[in-house]
Amino acid sequence: MMVAMSDWVLIVDDEAMIRENLKAYLEDEGLRVAAFEAVTPALDWLGERGACRVCVMDMRLPDMDGNSAIRILHQRYPQMAFLIHTGSSSYSLPDDLRVMGLDDDSVYHKPLTDMGPLAAAVRARMLPRGCPP
Amino acid sequence: MLPPLAITFARADPGGGVPVPSEAAGFTVMVRYVFWALIVVTGIAVAALLWSWLLGRRVAQRTQQLRRELIERHQAELALRKSEARFRDVTEAASDWIWEMDENLRFTYLSERFYALTGIAPQHVLSRTRWELAANASPDEWEKWRQHREVLEQRLPFRDFVYQIGVGNRHREGRYLKVSGKPILDGAGQFQGYRGIGTDITERVKAETALQESELRLRQIIDLVPHMIFAKDRYGHFLLANRATAEAFGLTVAELVNGSQRIVHGVDEEAEQMLADDLAVIESGASKFIAEETFTDRDGHAQTMQTIKIPFTAPGLSETAVLGVSINITVQKRAKEEVARMRLYLKNIIDSMPSVLIGVDPWGYITVLNQPAEQVGNLSWEAAQGRFFGDVFPQLESQFEQVRQAIRLGQPIKTPRMTLEVENELHYADVMVYPLIADGASGAVIRMDDVTGRVRIESMMVQTEKMLSVGGLAAGMAHEINNPLGAILQGSQNIQRRIALDMPQNLAVAAAIGIDLERLNRYLDQRGIRHFLEGIREAGVRAAKIVADMLSFSRRSESHFAPADLEDMLETVLRLAGSDYDLKKKYDFKRIQINRDYDPALRLIYCDKTEIEQVILNLLKNAAQAMTDDGTLTPAITLRTHREADFILIEVIDNGPGMDEKTLKRIFEPFFTTKDVGAGTGLGLSVSYFIVTEQHRGRLSATSKPGQGARFSIRLPARREALP
Repeated sequence: MMVAMSDWVLIVDDEAMIRENLKAYLEDEGLRVAAFEAVTPALDWLGERGACRVCVMDMRLPDMDGNSAIRILHQRYPQMAFLIHTGSSSYSLPDDLRVMGLDDDSVYHKPLTDMGPLAAAVRARMLPRGCPP
Repeated sequence: MLPPLAITFARADPGGGVPVPSEAAGFTVMVRYVFWALIVVTGIAVAALLWSWLLGRRVAQRTQQLRRELIERHQAELALRKSEARFRDVTEAASDWIWEMDENLRFTYLSERFYALTGIAPQHVLSRTRWELAANASPDEWEKWRQHREVLEQRLPFRDFVYQIGVGNRHREGRYLKVSGKPILDGAGQFQGYRGIGTDITERVKAETALQESELRLRQIIDLVPHMIFAKDRYGHFLLANRATAEAFGLTVAELVNGSQRIVHGVDEEAEQMLADDLAVIESGASKFIAEETFTDRDGHAQTMQTIKIPFTAPGLSETAVLGVSINITVQKRAKEEVARMRLYLKNIIDSMPSVLIGVDPWGYITVLNQPAEQVGNLSWEAAQGRFFGDVFPQLESQFEQVRQAIRLGQPIKTPRMTLEVENELHYADVMVYPLIADGASGAVIRMDDVTGRVRIESMMVQTEKMLSVGGLAAGMAHEINNPLGAILQGSQNIQRRIALDMPQNLAVAAAIGIDLERLNRYLDQRGIRHFLEGIREAGVRAAKIVADMLSFSRRSESHFAPADLEDMLETVLRLAGSDYDLKKKYDFKRIQINRDYDPALRLIYCDKTEIEQVILNLLKNAAQAMTDDGTLTPAITLRTHREADFILIEVIDNGPGMDEKTLKRIFEPFFTTKDVGAGTGLGLSVSYFIVTEQHRGRLSATSKPGQGARFSIRLPARREALP
């Protein structure tokens, strides 16, 4: 169960249509996706089921901001890779997140006219690193 | 007496010389006796006659002698009388008098002159001693009198004893008398008294005293004068020196006079120079003014002197000398130097000010200009001095009233944002007139600051503020718009994917529910659903683009210089301009034909992308608006890029109405607008101008003629070093 779970993609976005569209697209790409409207349920789900490979994180969330959520997740699941999907035009990546391995290519601005590149980035992050036990 | 003697002699003489006649012997004897008797008688007679003759002769001789003596005495007496008379005349006529004393040294005689001169009555003098006459001598003269008395009592001759007497008892001023005397001795050498002469020397004494006093006074004056006063002969010997001169050499006046400058002056070069000056004055006979000369005083301090040397012929000098007056101007010179230094210092300060500073007198004549003023007026301070400031600075002529008011009220008067035309460009200047009060002479300083740049910046800031607020709004809205746009775009993408025939999942689901996906697709096509879907998607994409462009414009604080693709930029601007249509004015960018004339060799340029995009967008909008207003039939805009030697040229060329020269001159002025009130801020082009010229060190220019369209050229420096 735990090993299987690591193939999952975690989406956290409070905008239902965004969340669902992204989930649908990635599922069509053959990925297993768990989507949550806030950080807390996502953490609960992870706590129940263990880590996942990639997380697509919105920034403005009802319970906390995306950067803090990434920090918490990174602390708990160091192997997890992150992509940021934000509606804020002025978002800039904090330095500590860069240290975690994020870069400007990890940031996607809404609206996505094409979800293909994001899906490719998710895939790319699924492959190279070894799965956590 | 002589005639009777002569008669006597005459009678005796013939009697003695006559012989006696004889006739008989007895007679002979008789005769003989008679004869002998006769001979004897004759002999006796002859002897008597001879004796008588001799006696007569001696008497005559004596008589002669007596007579001569008598004549001589008579003559001597006459001479004596004459001499006496002459002596008396002389005595009476002379200013001197004769005096005599007896053996008790009491006056026995004084000639008339004395009484006449002194007005003293004889009874006050005669029978008195001289010292009794001078009884009221002052104590400092007692010694003199004691000595004189001693001389007299020792009966010695004396010369030139001077004393003063009070004349009579009338309190008139005393007179100075000078007396000389000699003791009188009789034949036996017995002292009889004194005889002598006296002279009234009052006038001479007074004159001498006055002269002495005058000399003393002059001496005091020249000694009191703190300046050096001296006279030297041609060999450099001091003939005269005042105390200041002597002290400068560390000597007393007595030590310095007759001394040679070569000896007393410690510094040879100085001495030689001064002596050369002396000689020049003596030779030329003309005065010489030496504005500055160095004199090292006795303490070794170099003093700066200002000297005038005058040729001078002193009484008793055979040769011309030089008279000099030297004033120590060291302090003044230092003060002057300090003033000059301070002046230069202040000049540097006022020159370092960017403001134009013009000092004027109350009548508006220029007194001072600083360097920026010299540049603006194109005239040096020296050349401008004394000219009316309005002639040199015609743009400020209107400030004359302010100058007068400022001086009258004693308060600065400010004229902010005065408009000036400088080289056909409108400039703004803050003008301040400060009243000046310096040593009673009033005037004013006109300070002018060209604030055109600031006005532009301020205008731009106003614009920026507006844009930032719009941008801030856009940024705030963006998040809210982007999410729904995301839903639209992602949703339409998912729909398109999930109706596609090539996706296994689609086919699987369709098969599971028993529908033919292909037929469904035909249905969707026939009903135009796929087309509508594509329409939704395109609209979403366009909306996303507008939002993105708006955001990129608003993020001015984040904009930086970076390499940017010029063609992409132009395309972005075109797209944005296409979306910018003014419903009210009903101009539609899409109606305008866009020609692209891009230099293929020119892609990446180094600039602030958003700024340059804004400039180009502004030019496009202006062109579109002008062409719409004018009703240009086939409006077209050409975007042209070209690589010049040092610049990257971006041109926006339209075929609109163009502009006349007057408008063309003013288009970059802030707030200048040809548009209706409310239609434009008048800032667009000036902000563009600012962005290009100030931020990019480039150039923005426009050429146009009425009816022939307009061409705006942006030139950005091709080299990065030229950029800020």
